[in-house]
Amino acid sequence: MSASQFNDESNRASKSVGIADSPRRNRRARAGNSRRKDLDNTLTFIRDIDRAASPIEICSVILKAVRPYGFNNILAGTIPLPGSTQSQQESNVVLADWPMDWAQRYFSSGYLFADPAIRRVTSDVSPFMWNELAPLCRDDPMASRVMDEAGDFQLKCGFTVPLVTLEGEVAGFSIAGPRVEMPPYLRGMMSLVTAYAFGHALNLRAKSIEAAQARITPREQEILQWAAAGKTEWEIGEILNISEHTVDKFFRSARSKLNATNRTQAVAEAFRRYIIT
Amino acid sequence: MIHLVDAENIREYRAEMDQAYRLRHQVFVEESKWEELRKADGREIDQFDDGRALHMLYIRDGAVLGYQRMLPTTKPHLLSDVLPDLCEGERPVGPEVWEWTRYCVSRPHRERGRALSPIANSLLSGIVEWGLSTGVSTIIIEMDPIWLLRLVQLYFRVTPLGLPRRYGPSDVVAVAAKFDSRTLARLREMRGDTESVLYRPVHLETARSKLA
Repeated sequence: MSASQFNDESNRASKSVGIADSPRRNRRARAGNSRRKDLDNTLTFIRDIDRAASPIEICSVILKAVRPYGFNNILAGTIPLPGSTQSQQESNVVLADWPMDWAQRYFSSGYLFADPAIRRVTSDVSPFMWNELAPLCRDDPMASRVMDEAGDFQLKCGFTVPLVTLEGEVAGFSIAGPRVEMPPYLRGMMSLVTAYAFGHALNLRAKSIEAAQARITPREQEILQWAAAGKTEWEIGEILNISEHTVDKFFRSARSKLNATNRTQAVAEAFRRYIIT
Repeated sequence: MIHLVDAENIREYRAEMDQAYRLRHQVFVEESKWEELRKADGREIDQFDDGRALHMLYIRDGAVLGYQRMLPTTKPHLLSDVLPDLCEGERPVGPEVWEWTRYCVSRPHRERGRALSPIANSLLSGIVEWGLSTGVSTIIIEMDPIWLLRLVQLYFRVTPLGLPRRYGPSDVVAVAAKFDSRTLARLREMRGDTESVLYRPVHLETARSKLA
């Protein structure tokens, strides 16, 4: 069952609502209607995330939705173990659209281990606004300093959703900005959408690792993806603006890397290894 | 191994089902404090535990260490009768959609840290193996949103049916989760073994006739 299927049904249903015979029922219908609209928006949001082909695209889908509420930046990653080096900390980042200067200072000065948001993520699974962290900063000058300096980089306000990966690692997904609004519906929506965005980014990463292991190039991956969509070599050539002969060359190369004897087997193998989806 | 218990063979599993109801009471009443489910005899049984339910028991050396219950959406189930507020849109219904409830693992066998324990993995694999061989493709789950990421990583295609709502101390969201052979491959890869977890393979024809 696809998100769009749900959308179609909900559009039909929302047209039929509105015939209510009492003010009370009317009010209830309106509340139900707006919850239904929030769900539809969430489903569209999730569908757009699923379609994103790269971590950068995932970030831009999310920022487009949260910018109207003042959020301009995203940082999401698994929480590094205490004592991790700067490069270990940076390799834990899964999605980032974050001020470079601040990231540099944050990771090189060990701010991560003083950050009250990180402390909260590892101790409680419910999402939170950064202004709820004040009690954690009260007797901790280093924690207050991290929060204050973040403010200098237009990251004064934020919202973080704790996540847990299949491997059991704790992760945090933050959006932030200088001044923000967080209506209840956005809170509910973000507590769902962040899991899709993070999961999709991790699956994309696994896919590119698989591709690298098979030494499949991005171009070969693209051609396999179009072949899986049923396109002929001529059509793929038209789409990618290269000759049919070149498509054929890429195909042979991908086939031999995947140890496949024909086109169908190559596509099946690429699916099995998550090189294409 | 996972044993599938339904109206037809429940008599052969009298002792194990007794253990299963006690495990449910231990996990959902004693640990999770769902007081409305409390029973004087310590066996958690509700109105859905009749002929329609498919019980899946993880049994090792006669001991029931894990449990979950599947309910057909073509008959009353939790989302239709107990938690209808969790579904804002169209409720998915059909022979290929079942509801997953009462998932539990006995305490000493739970995950260390937060990774999926071998028994949890077997229970999930049990659903997917059973589903792939009977034509069931989608499960309805009412759960804490913290589980979403793990489902996405297991290649479940998860569609929320509403936004999360607060029930007691935690948020609950209803979702429809669709799975396929990639889900099973991922679970097997994590378990490091490609054997079936089902005690008896599901016979396609009998399964189909039951679903019809």
